[in-house]
Amino acid sequence: MLIVLAALLNACSRGPEPIRYGSDACAHCKMTIMDKRFAAEIVTAKGKVYKFDSAECMADFLKDNAGLASNDKTMFLVSYYDHPGTFENATNSVYLRDEAMHSPMGGNVGVFTSEASARSFGKDTAAKIYNWAELLRSR
Amino acid sequence: MRALSLKICLLLLMPAIVRARTINVAPHTAVASLKQAVGQARNGDTIIVGQGTYISANTIIDKALTVLGRNRPVLDARYQDEVVTITSNNVTFDGFVVRNSKTGSMRDFAGIRLSKVQNVTVSNNTLLNNFFGIYLSDCDYIRVLNNHLSGSNDLENSGNGIHLWKCKYVLISGNYVTRHRDGIYFEFAKKSTIENNLSEKNIRYGLHFMFSDDDTYIRNTFRNNGSGVAVMYTRRIKMLHNTFTRNWGGSIYGLLLKEISDAQIEGNQFTRNTTAIYMENTERITVTKNDFNANGWAIRVLASCYDDHFTNNNFEGNSFDATTNGSLKENYFSNNYWDKYEGYDLNKDGIGDVPYRPISLYAQVIEQNPQSVMLMRSFIVNLMDKVERAVPSVTPETVKDDKPMMKPWKR
Repeated sequence: MLIVLAALLNACSRGPEPIRYGSDACAHCKMTIMDKRFAAEIVTAKGKVYKFDSAECMADFLKDNAGLASNDKTMFLVSYYDHPGTFENATNSVYLRDEAMHSPMGGNVGVFTSEASARSFGKDTAAKIYNWAELLRSR
Repeated sequence: MRALSLKICLLLLMPAIVRARTINVAPHTAVASLKQAVGQARNGDTIIVGQGTYISANTIIDKALTVLGRNRPVLDARYQDEVVTITSNNVTFDGFVVRNSKTGSMRDFAGIRLSKVQNVTVSNNTLLNNFFGIYLSDCDYIRVLNNHLSGSNDLENSGNGIHLWKCKYVLISGNYVTRHRDGIYFEFAKKSTIENNLSEKNIRYGLHFMFSDDDTYIRNTFRNNGSGVAVMYTRRIKMLHNTFTRNWGGSIYGLLLKEISDAQIEGNQFTRNTTAIYMENTERITVTKNDFNANGWAIRVLASCYDDHFTNNNFEGNSFDATTNGSLKENYFSNNYWDKYEGYDLNKDGIGDVPYRPISLYAQVIEQNPQSVMLMRSFIVNLMDKVERAVPSVTPETVKDDKPMMKPWKR
């Protein structure tokens, strides 16, 4: 009885889910998620989790699902290029578009903690820096 | 007369042209490394590297040389750097064991890198434990022939076997790729041919196209990869006479098509894949003369696909012949053989007299409610499917084969 109760409670909690690299597929592009530097995740207000292989896939997905983007209970999470493997809040992260990024979807967008950190990684002279709102608008 | 004098002139010039030298490299001799030999060589020379193990922390070949390994010499980067980089046109690199490139998330380290070159051949090499195997960026007219690549099989630190970025006119033939992320990866690689390769047990895809138009892959085998082949965001790809087999598991496909148009899929074998072909946002694809055997789902066509044609295929022993997620319009089926067809042929022309509907009612039920898969092969499911076939009500009306074959196509 307790176990059932615990399982039910567990099912109710809303939060991010770890990505199983090499077996989970991106919700937008269907590619298997492999690269820890670029993975991203959305947790909806109801707790449904969408996993992505890159921030640009998440942005494209939000363009097709505008309801999620406007709901302020939705959680947007990204991996940092300079600290792969952890999830951070996407809305206050810095996005660098740089030819040298080689992200999975060819959008060449890497995510960084700060503008300074992003600038130090920029290799291409045409590199551009975006914030979250600008990234969404750019897709 | 003028022709004759020209010939004499050429004869006089001959010694200058043919004075290409051969430089031998062997351990414990005056020339004990490939780097040293390249330093001494001039364009057109041949370097022959003898048996032995050589440390090669990124040897750069920046002259037009023929570099041959005799008795499989080993070039080892000891995880410090890339192994070999070719930066000159007209190079042949043949017969080496290239191993242990550096790995790491900040750069794509490779066993053999070709950067901004033309007319280079990389052949008969064995690449072991490299992050990326053979990495071509900004190259045209390259041949990658008969190499054997085995990666680290490390889930998180594994690059692609043969990786192309912004290339044209590349021939990839007779290679074996395993234990890499994608066996063969094409990004912005156009007008290239991939033939007679075997790609197996790679972590993600056997072969992967991104934004790469006008390529052909023919007579390759994709076995037991994360997924067989993914073709994404491309146009005019020809997929001919390949074998897709044992690509098995959740969200794993023999062939994954996403946002592609004008592709030709002909003469392929799909055997024992969870989903043989998955199609999303496709336009004008022809799927013809293929054999689908013992797959979970033979074809899964999403409602976002238009003007695709499925003809002259054999569907045998698949759990589901076709499924979709909505109303499927403007996708055409004809002259296929379906082993689940139960119609008759009164006029004996070899074509069934009543249409076959490849999407079963049960497939539609599973679409809405995946858990109902546990009822598979039960009496009630069979009964439902029979009734639905007799009186279609739920399955898409337009999805039907008006000319189902009574006997399988013989190839």
